Amino acid sequence: MLRGFYTAASGMISQQRQQEALANNIANANTPGYKADQTTLRAFPEMLLQQVGALNHVPTENGLNIRQTNEVGPLNTGVYAQEMVPNHVQGDMRETQIPTDVALMNGNMPDENGSLFFTVQNGAGDIRYTRNGNFTVDQEGFLVTNDGYYVLDSNGNQINTDGVEFNVTQNGVVQTVAGDFPLGISYVENTDELVKEGTDLFAGEGVPVPGDVTFEVAQGFLERSNVDAGRTMTEMMEAYRVFEMNQRVLRAYDESMEKAVTEIGRIG
Amino acid sequence: MSRMMVQAAVTMNQLQKQLDSVGHNIANSDTAGYKSRETEFSSLLFQQINNLTHEENATGRLTPDGLRVGAGARVSSTNNNLSAGAMKTTDRALDVALTNKSHMFQVQVDRGAGAETLYTRDGSFYLQRTPDENTLVLATSDGHPVLGQNGPITITGDIDDITIQDNGAVYVRRGEASEMVGQLNVVEVIRPHVLTGEGNNFFRISDEDALGYNLNEIVQQVNPDEQILKSGVLEQSNVDLSKEMTDMITAQRSYQFNARTITMGEQMLGLINQLR
Repeated sequence: MLRGFYTAASGMISQQRQQEALANNIANANTPGYKADQTTLRAFPEMLLQQVGALNHVPTENGLNIRQTNEVGPLNTGVYAQEMVPNHVQGDMRETQIPTDVALMNGNMPDENGSLFFTVQNGAGDIRYTRNGNFTVDQEGFLVTNDGYYVLDSNGNQINTDGVEFNVTQNGVVQTVAGDFPLGISYVENTDELVKEGTDLFAGEGVPVPGDVTFEVAQGFLERSNVDAGRTMTEMMEAYRVFEMNQRVLRAYDESMEKAVTEIGRIG
Repeated sequence: MSRMMVQAAVTMNQLQKQLDSVGHNIANSDTAGYKSRETEFSSLLFQQINNLTHEENATGRLTPDGLRVGAGARVSSTNNNLSAGAMKTTDRALDVALTNKSHMFQVQVDRGAGAETLYTRDGSFYLQRTPDENTLVLATSDGHPVLGQNGPITITGDIDDITIQDNGAVYVRRGEASEMVGQLNVVEVIRPHVLTGEGNNFFRISDEDALGYNLNEIVQQVNPDEQILKSGVLEQSNVDLSKEMTDMITAQRSYQFNARTITMGEQMLGLINQLR
C-alpha cells in the first residue's frame, strides 16, 4: 500500500494535538501563575527498507539466478505529539491591591530547570504545588486557594489567619494575630518532572527551599500567565498551515489511488 | 478535534463574565464609597491522554508519561478591593467620609418581616421626613435610616443648621442653642471577607451563625471618642478607570483570540471534510 497515506494522516493528527495545547494556552492567557505548554513532535521509529527481488545472473551452465537484497535506506512513516512540556519561566508581576493575593518571584536558581512553588493541600489531602497566588480566606479563617485547598506553611500545617487582615513579608512570612507562619514554599529541582493537574496545580516532589535559592514574596501582587499571545497565535497559524499541507498530501494520495482504481486495467 | 473549539468557547463565556464585572466597575466609577471587584481566572482540569505506551516513546521525553491537555479557563474569584477611595471635598454638611478603610456606617433597611442592618461606606446622607410630619431622620440617599448609638438619628422640630463632628456626633442648631441629637454608630470590620455585596452600595453579613462567628467577631463598635470621619467630604469610588479600561481591552482581545481559535478549529474541520 501507499505508505505516505498514513504518514500524511499522522501529520494531521499531530497538528491537531498541537492546536489543542495552543488553544489551551491562549485560553489561559489571563490565568495568574499559568505556565504555557509546549508540544514536541516526534517521528515514528525508523525502519530500514530493503529492496528484494533483483535477480543476479550467475554465469553458469544453467544460467543460475540468485535473488539479491539491496538496502534502500531508513524511512519513518509518520509523526506524533510526544509530550507537552510546561514552560516554567517566571511570569510578569501585576498589582491587584488585594491583600490575599500573593506573588512569588524567583531569585537565584542553581538548577537550570528549578523553580519555586506555593505548597497546597488538595481535597484528597495530598500535597500539590502552584504558582497561582490568588488566594482567599475561607469561612473558618484558613488561607485557601480559590478551590478551597489549604495553603500550607513551612511545617506542612494549614495557615489560620482567623479571618483578620494579615501581612505577608518579603521573605514569605504571614503575620497574623495568632503569630507568624512562614509560607510553605517548595523548591522543585527539575520542573519537567511535575504533572499538570489543572486548576493551576502541579503534582510532584518538592523539597524545602535550599540555602542557595533566593526568592521574594509580594503581597497585593499576582504573577501573570507566561503565555505570549502573539507568539501563540503565530504558532497556531503555522500549525494550521502544516495541517492543511498534510491534508493536501492526503488528497494527492487519494487522487493517485483513484487513478489506480479507475484507470488501471480498463479495457477499451 | 472539537476539543480546541470547546476550550475556546468555555473561555469566551468566562471572559464575558469578566467583561460584565469590568462594565459594572466602570459604571460605578463615580459612585461614592463604591468598592471595585477584581475578576481573576484559573485554569480548568487537565486531561491525561496516554498516547503511546511503547517503551520507544520514552526516549527523549522530559516529562512523565502521557499528554496533558487542558480544558480552558474559568473565572475563579471576584474579590472586593476594599482599599480606600480618594476624598472629595463637597462642603455639604451631611456628606461624611470615613478615614479608616475598614470602618463602615450601619444602615437600617426595612425588610417587611423586620429590619436588617446593612453596612456601607457611602456617607452622602440626607434628612428625610418621617410619617410624623414634625420629625426628620438621618437617612442614606435611598431613604434608609442611618443607625446612631441609640438607633436611627431623629430630629424633632425645626432646625437652622446641622453639623456632624469628627467623632460622628450629630449637632443641630436652633437659633443660638446647639444640641446633640445622636452619634453615628460606626463599626470596624474585623473580618472583611465575610461581607458580601448587596447592591445600592451596601454590604451585608451573610448568615453569621452559619459562619460560626458572633456578630462582634465580624464587626466591632468604634470608640465614640475617636476621630473617625471628615465632614463635608465624600469618599470617591476606588475604581481606577485606566486599570479598568486596560482590563477591558485585555478581555476583549482575549475574547478575539479565543474566537480565532474557534474559527481555526472550524476551518480544520472543513479541511477534513474536503478530504472526500
